[in-house]
Amino acid sequence: MYRNVKTAELVSLKIDGTEISVPPDTSVIEAAEAVGVLVPRYCYHPGIPTRPAQCRVCLVEIEGQPKLQPSCKMSVQEGMVVHTASEEARSARRSVIELLLVNHPLDCPICDAAGQCMLQDYAFETHQLASRLNEEKLVMGRDRIADDILYFADRCIICTRCVRFMREVAEDDALIVAQRGYRAYIDTFPGRVLDNPFRGNIVDVCPVGALVHEDFLFKARFWDLDQTASVCPGCSTGCNVTIDTKENQIVRLKPRHNSEVNSYWMCDHGRKHLIMSNRGLRPEAPLLRRNGKLVPTGWGDALTWVAERLREVPSGMAIVSPHAANESLFYFRRLLDRIGIAGGTFRVERGEEAILSGFPKLQLRADRAPNASGAELHGFERFDGSARSDPEGDAVAVLEDPLAELPEEWGRQASFFLYVGNRLSSAARNAHAILPVTTFAEMEGTFTNFEGRVQRFHQALQPAGLARPAWLVLARLVSLLEDDGDGGAAAPTLASEAFQVMVGDTPAMAGLEWASVGLKGARLGSTEAAVLQAQAPVEGA
Amino acid sequence: MPGEVKVMTRPEGKGSYVRAALKGMGVTLKHMVDPHKVTQQYPEEKWELAPRMRGTHRMAVHEDGRSKCVACGLCPTVCPVNCIKLIPAEDENGERYAAVYEIDEFRCIFCGFCQEVCPVEAIHLSVHYENAEYSRERWVYDLERLCEIDHPYTALWDPADPSSE
Repeated sequence: MYRNVKTAELVSLKIDGTEISVPPDTSVIEAAEAVGVLVPRYCYHPGIPTRPAQCRVCLVEIEGQPKLQPSCKMSVQEGMVVHTASEEARSARRSVIELLLVNHPLDCPICDAAGQCMLQDYAFETHQLASRLNEEKLVMGRDRIADDILYFADRCIICTRCVRFMREVAEDDALIVAQRGYRAYIDTFPGRVLDNPFRGNIVDVCPVGALVHEDFLFKARFWDLDQTASVCPGCSTGCNVTIDTKENQIVRLKPRHNSEVNSYWMCDHGRKHLIMSNRGLRPEAPLLRRNGKLVPTGWGDALTWVAERLREVPSGMAIVSPHAANESLFYFRRLLDRIGIAGGTFRVERGEEAILSGFPKLQLRADRAPNASGAELHGFERFDGSARSDPEGDAVAVLEDPLAELPEEWGRQASFFLYVGNRLSSAARNAHAILPVTTFAEMEGTFTNFEGRVQRFHQALQPAGLARPAWLVLARLVSLLEDDGDGGAAAPTLASEAFQVMVGDTPAMAGLEWASVGLKGARLGSTEAAVLQAQAPVEGA
Repeated sequence: MPGEVKVMTRPEGKGSYVRAALKGMGVTLKHMVDPHKVTQQYPEEKWELAPRMRGTHRMAVHEDGRSKCVACGLCPTVCPVNCIKLIPAEDENGERYAAVYEIDEFRCIFCGFCQEVCPVEAIHLSVHYENAEYSRERWVYDLERLCEIDHPYTALWDPADPSSE
């Protein structure tokens, strides 16, 4: 949160009557946030380095200073006494908001930002009920500043967050402020196109509804959306995101702050990728092949039937997907061990890489799947060939891989073909048993990102039909196979239980806790090292 | 005490029903002479409705016949019985409009919140109550039907002072 912490010495100051000690070089607005006072801000954004202090809405009164000071720019000083809500500060803020509203169209009913608009919030806070302006408002119209981003010039308050994001974080000088004064508007630099792979972030930083993503334009009102903390499955970076859903459909993705992974940002590939997952044909009930036809069945019958058939499987191959959760991969490995299939491969879709220059840790990585590391951790190998060979007379078990690239007759000759997945491709229809499982958005679980960071995602959607999380289905199958008349071991029913079983059985994951993974994730290496250190026998003790 | 009945004696001279019967006939005779109406001959004769009555919805339209609705989504949000369905979309001019706008008049409780909340004075209640349909589906009024309705607006909304200022 704090920039350039140079010394360990702290500076004490008083904000709205609360004493706080913060590192020097902290700005007043950050210190105020630390004591729970949210000073209004437009041009200040914690993820954008420069603070032009041009919006003047964060003005606060500081004792001993002749004038109000912009709290985003002002560094803390020893003994400072700050009043964020004094009469003088509030009246200045009211004037700023009133001036911003002079040409603001107040088209809140049709504006996509309504409900999460900082101009709405502060206008309400400063009690601006009527305008004193008698003149006509300036009408500027709208512009398409990128393929998928619209710019409503009337709504813009020229905070320049978008311009500074592009210049300082994306390091792609595509946006400028054109014209001056009340005619100022945001435009692309002459001769430049806004095609940066991280351009979607300018919509997120916009404090009003001036920048709107085409994919969200007129789609939903903010108050109709349900928000769920999740992890982006677009690539192996695993950006922390919030999934916004409406009526059991994913409407959009917003980045969720995590300084270890993605800061405040995410890429456009991730945004578009997940919205596509609303489409596609899903199996909605267990399907068993009887007399050559796939017949829908209940879960109980299906699992018993599959367990019976799996007992007779002599040898075979396994295919997994790097989109499967850690818990699902773990229980799939257990199932394979039980029926005697070794190895197993997964195929990762590859794509072009892109780096966010201002925050190089955030990259759109070549591995376009969230859990390739997790699959490797559970003993599955990367498959790089062009097409998988047909299992022919062998058995084959598939976890979540859509098998989309395979020919229609693939797997038809297999002695037993078990498909545990959530897409019905033509090859998958050759299975003897199709067990419908949820996508990651419909379940709880964890992914392991490229650097071995285990991150939890939460359930955003209701499952399609009878689909259940893969780990639940597989754990039940394993316990049915282990049943020698005594009912077998109890299968976990909660994601947290499955996670703890996995951690207890996977040495590389030792030390992880469901609760401590939390919303920010935990690194494999660090916890492992910490645990090993803690367990190491003390010399000479 | 159970079983014990209080016996009242009938007052002398008031035991006859003749007086009461004559009185009743008198009323009947009076109505024959002065036909004061009690029964209303509905539907030939109709009630005079209060101007502020809240009845069937109607949608205000522009001169070219387009609905005034901008699909802001406030009426489905405020509706206490969830009888309004709205799907917004973008028209050929890039404006927001209601691609689907349906009101289930069967479910509606005619509270008038939708009219009150509408920022563009598009949806209104009208002074009208006579609705009958052969099927429940027909009670779901779509946008076209709401636009065609031309019953008088309820006086809760004054067209001369649309924003109630």
